Amino acid sequence: MRGFCDRTAVAGVGYTAFSRNSWVSTLTLACEAVLAALDDAGLTPDDVDGIATHRVGDSAAPSVVGPALGIDAPAWYLDQFGGGSVSHAVIGQAALAVAAGVAETVVCYRAVNARSEFRMGGTGRGVPVSPEVQYQAPYGYTAPPQQYAMYARAHMLKYGTKAEHFGQLAVTQRANAVKNPRALMRAPITLDDYLASRWIAEPFRLLDCCLETDGACAVVVTTAERARDLRRPPVLISAAAWGGGDSFLSGREPADPTVTSAAELAPRLYAMAGAGPEDVDVAELYDCFTYSVIVQLEDYGFCAKGEGGPFVASGATAPGGALPVNTHGGFLSEGYVHGVNHIAEAVSQLRGDAGDRQVPGAEVALSTAQPGYILPATSALILRRG
Amino acid sequence: MIKPVPDRDSAEWWERAARHEFVVQACGTCGTLRFPARAYCARCRGREWHWREVAPAGRVVSWIVNHQPFLPDAPTPYTVVMVRLTDAPACVMVGNWHGPAEPVADQPVTVSYTYVDERLSLINWEPA
Repeated sequence: MRGFCDRTAVAGVGYTAFSRNSWVSTLTLACEAVLAALDDAGLTPDDVDGIATHRVGDSAAPSVVGPALGIDAPAWYLDQFGGGSVSHAVIGQAALAVAAGVAETVVCYRAVNARSEFRMGGTGRGVPVSPEVQYQAPYGYTAPPQQYAMYARAHMLKYGTKAEHFGQLAVTQRANAVKNPRALMRAPITLDDYLASRWIAEPFRLLDCCLETDGACAVVVTTAERARDLRRPPVLISAAAWGGGDSFLSGREPADPTVTSAAELAPRLYAMAGAGPEDVDVAELYDCFTYSVIVQLEDYGFCAKGEGGPFVASGATAPGGALPVNTHGGFLSEGYVHGVNHIAEAVSQLRGDAGDRQVPGAEVALSTAQPGYILPATSALILRRG
Repeated sequence: MIKPVPDRDSAEWWERAARHEFVVQACGTCGTLRFPARAYCARCRGREWHWREVAPAGRVVSWIVNHQPFLPDAPTPYTVVMVRLTDAPACVMVGNWHGPAEPVADQPVTVSYTYVDERLSLINWEPA
């Protein structure tokens, strides 16, 4: 199933500054990132006929952002419910709309004041509208780091994954962020710093956890043909996949807590791209927590099941390794815009404009969303230099 | 403590828990046991079901020791344990740990009810 492989492209990406307090509304952040992405592509809001976002009641809707920029009657829009699981599904759905001829130029954004206004983990409200919350919140089990720590321990118990493996990933990503002017955390750290950081929820320490960030990021999707005539080198969308899997509390089959929805999705994704893990030059993997990357390295087929920790410890995910991962520093060190900054970094790597962080000769990139532990869904993109 | 907000599918399950009845749903068509409560069987799509009392016992899948005060009125540290039910191995629950020492992998455990009020008891876990 080659789907809409290489028929659409990312023509531009845009960012606001990342901070702990933007002092502006999510509407303002969204407009700033959208305008920056359009400018990157050499376009204006008058060229846009589609607009999309994902959110959990924490940000400005397309129906507000569009009119605020004079995009009054888009041919297509998407207001996708969800957090990090659906970030890449939004781009995939925009590409689907463009490939189907429903829209020609779609701008996708995610705008959050995730530190100063709406903290994912610190409120006790859990995932909105999930029926699972009633069975978790009374026990003080409400925050994503707790849930991921639970699964991380299961992986440690089954496969012998160690704290030092998580730590090596955090250290490597911080070293990448040192080279990234956008990154919020640019002071190098050592494995000792990691091990000395305070407990959040054992087995997770502070440095296992992503940042909470105010900021926005936007991506412009158009036809491959049109993208070739625009300002920047096109980055083709070779594959997009999104979908579900078992939830641990779904009451379905006995689930293995060390396998994510990514394992179900990966074969469809690779089939659409006509590529495999061996073809991927750089990977921007959803790193809400260190363990999230380790389990995805396995479930996307870069190493055997259970070998994610040793794979990281071998240096394979560092610059110059077999698979450089989270070259911008990721959510752990750059900032946390729920998946979209991973897509933008992948685009930058494939355009060859990543500066000191550039992976030489990068042709194919994988970028992924939250792999499905918290809501049983995930999404991912394979992007290719045009 | 955040009190659970039952939905229209789960209200009776919480009422039974308050009476210390440890139940899951059993599909009336194919017999599949399921938790949390919902109307349809995900395996055979049957809508007939009944409550099935099962042993209030399971084994430890994983656990966390929480230190960060995510909830203002919950003294830290506290341990949350994930348990796979002995009589319904497809079903998993989380609860607080009432053991004298940290749990260990695959440890047999049994329910330790925590009475909150006449309408609510929480299902916590202790060594079997």
